[in-house]
Amino acid sequence: MKRIAAFALAGLLASACAWAQGTDEPSQPPPPAAAPPAAASVPLSSTAEAVYSDARPRLLQVRTLVQSAGGQATLGSAFLVSADGLALTNYHVVSQYALEPSTYRLEYLAPDGTSGPLKLYAIDVANDLAVVQLDRSSLPYFTFDERAVKGDLPKGERLFAMGNPLDLGFTIVEGTYNGLVDKSYNERIHFSGALNPGMSGGPTVTTGGRVAGVNVAKQIGGDLVSFLVPARHAAALLARARTNGPMTPESARAEIGHQLASWQTALYAALAARGFRTATFGPYAVPESAATWFSCWSRTNAGETPKPRAIADQTSCSTQASLFVAGDLDTGAIDLAHAYVRSVDLNAFQFATFVSDLYRYEGFSGRRKRLTPARCQEDFVRADDPTARPMLRVVWCARAYRDFEGIYDVVVSAVTQDRAREALVSRLSMRGASWDNAQALAREFLGSIGFASAP
Amino acid sequence: MMWIEVLSRHHEVVGRYRAGDEARIGRAYDNDVVLDDPFVAPHHVRIARDETGALVAEDLGSVNGLYTTESNARVARVPLDGQAILRVGRTLLRVRAPEFAVAPERAVGPVARVWPVIAALSVTVIVLSALTLWLNETHEPQPSRYFLPLLGVVVVVLVWTTGWTVLSRIFTGVAHFDLHLLIALCGLLAFFAFDELADYGSFALSSRGLADYAYVGNWILFAMLCFVHLRAMGPRRGPLKAGVVAAIAAAAIAAQSVSRSDESSTVGQQSYLQGLKPPVFRLKHAQALDGFIGDTTRLKESLDKARLTPPSSRGWFDSDPDSDE
Repeated sequence: MKRIAAFALAGLLASACAWAQGTDEPSQPPPPAAAPPAAASVPLSSTAEAVYSDARPRLLQVRTLVQSAGGQATLGSAFLVSADGLALTNYHVVSQYALEPSTYRLEYLAPDGTSGPLKLYAIDVANDLAVVQLDRSSLPYFTFDERAVKGDLPKGERLFAMGNPLDLGFTIVEGTYNGLVDKSYNERIHFSGALNPGMSGGPTVTTGGRVAGVNVAKQIGGDLVSFLVPARHAAALLARARTNGPMTPESARAEIGHQLASWQTALYAALAARGFRTATFGPYAVPESAATWFSCWSRTNAGETPKPRAIADQTSCSTQASLFVAGDLDTGAIDLAHAYVRSVDLNAFQFATFVSDLYRYEGFSGRRKRLTPARCQEDFVRADDPTARPMLRVVWCARAYRDFEGIYDVVVSAVTQDRAREALVSRLSMRGASWDNAQALAREFLGSIGFASAP
Repeated sequence: MMWIEVLSRHHEVVGRYRAGDEARIGRAYDNDVVLDDPFVAPHHVRIARDETGALVAEDLGSVNGLYTTESNARVARVPLDGQAILRVGRTLLRVRAPEFAVAPERAVGPVARVWPVIAALSVTVIVLSALTLWLNETHEPQPSRYFLPLLGVVVVVLVWTTGWTVLSRIFTGVAHFDLHLLIALCGLLAFFAFDELADYGSFALSSRGLADYAYVGNWILFAMLCFVHLRAMGPRRGPLKAGVVAAIAAAAIAAQSVSRSDESSTVGQQSYLQGLKPPVFRLKHAQALDGFIGDTTRLKESLDKARLTPPSSRGWFDSDPDSDE
């Protein structure tokens, strides 16, 4: 039992990690003081009962099995959306099979105890959705809620999430619709209810039993802060799948690469369209993205004991735009960080050492099964107009994705070279970007580092 | 009259015997020179003057025979010019006639003042080490952070010097502690100079290669240092000594290159601004931004190549933080 639970946990932890950027910082906006789901009053409880008894034959558990061993590797949930056996789930529930179809296979388990193989029909990596097909037809199925597809649900609407948490059995959970998450590039519904590992891919329905969203993740470190993929993306994927027909297992990897490429193209275009605003750091002016889906945090070492010998004021902005690709690969995040460092009593040599160590431990991580080793290029970069912009020393490091052609992780670090005991250290980290997009954003970023006011 | 000298393996005189115009050498006590070498016959060699008056050694029919150090051929009879060294059993002998010309008297020069130089070098080394530590100090200065590394430097120099002194004493009979200490200090200064040069050069010229391949220079310096120590022990077999240290250095460089290439194929380069120096040390002409961005295309090509080669098997130095999944 413990073993199953452990595996199930891993199954949804992946999804949770894809969502929660860093668990050490509250990367999500603080949850609104939503009223906790009301203690079950009689009508409420009977609603849930009715919703569940109606939904039960339409629910599925999705199991990813190791081809050779036959044991389950991860568990998730799914729900039927058509009479001919199409079901919706999360991409992250089927990602192992999608990336390695020769190692894994998919199986469903219905609440009535029947089981059978599942075929992968379509995927949407950006919205963490997948369509799978059962070997059965003429089954009851869910329909999408019209208001949810249009995005017209009122905040506070009561919703019911269903799935098979921790392989304990099919479950229904009450919660509240809290609108779309503010600081997210990918649309996600903030659902105040308890989602647990194993419920990924299950439906969240309105009191009428119609689908409002697909369970996807929960905030680690939050209470009842969970996330759903809006119904309109699920409906759109289903429509697209119907038009395009089923995909072959061998084409899944190429399809993921293709989707990552087009997703990042849209993201970087959106970023460029929002533009940059200027923030002032001491004598320097630096670019910060004007896009709303960046969440920024500042820190300083000024209050540390013993008194620091150089003061570093750091601001780091990161997008909540990361995508789950595989259990060991999240991509898509963009981080912009600036640190204004000035010496208190360090000489020029000591100060240079201090600056070198500033971002020393914030390099690349990730498995080399997925990424190539990093390669770097560094040089002094001069400004066209030395009165407006400082000379920089720039290091450009990059890694390529082994599975997907034309996608890279790039980290660009720059330090100003115009003063001996004062410097601006800037860092732009782009995950899962095409080389052209990385070059364009880096050019914009580096080219916007200037002096606050012309001397 | 003649002098028969018994020599050590290093050709130093360990015994000198005066003999008449004819001398017999062997283990037996009726010889003029008695040798305690079990490989010497009771009556092994006879030394006499031939008809021209020159000294000649003759084998008296021993089992192990008579050899000169010049060749490996056994000789029955060999003329002696005062330089030739005879091997009898395992003993080395040299015979010199009274008319052998010795080198002229050497004048006593001023005593070489090596210790003041050593003292000055030691102070330089300590000061430079302390300076390097101080220039990289970014925390509260604490004496312990200086004393321990400096003590380390002192101990390493002493252990290194003592090692060479002991070797020198064993193989040449002379310790030459001062000479080896002098060499060790000079070597350490050379290491310092080279390291700093590579470090600053790598920043000034913006060349990671200079810092990455500094180990090649370090091994060459190490080999040179060992060679100078060996030279100081004696001028003999120069080419052999040079060959041995060169081979060791080459092997070390090869081993480190292999380990470096393994590391770069698994971990890759580090993405932080390493080895920054004050901006005044920049020598390289800075690039325009567009040029820099354009150059990254070459990096892309190498990454595109790298992604097609499968990842190497996991090494013990695998730095992947989440690889134990």
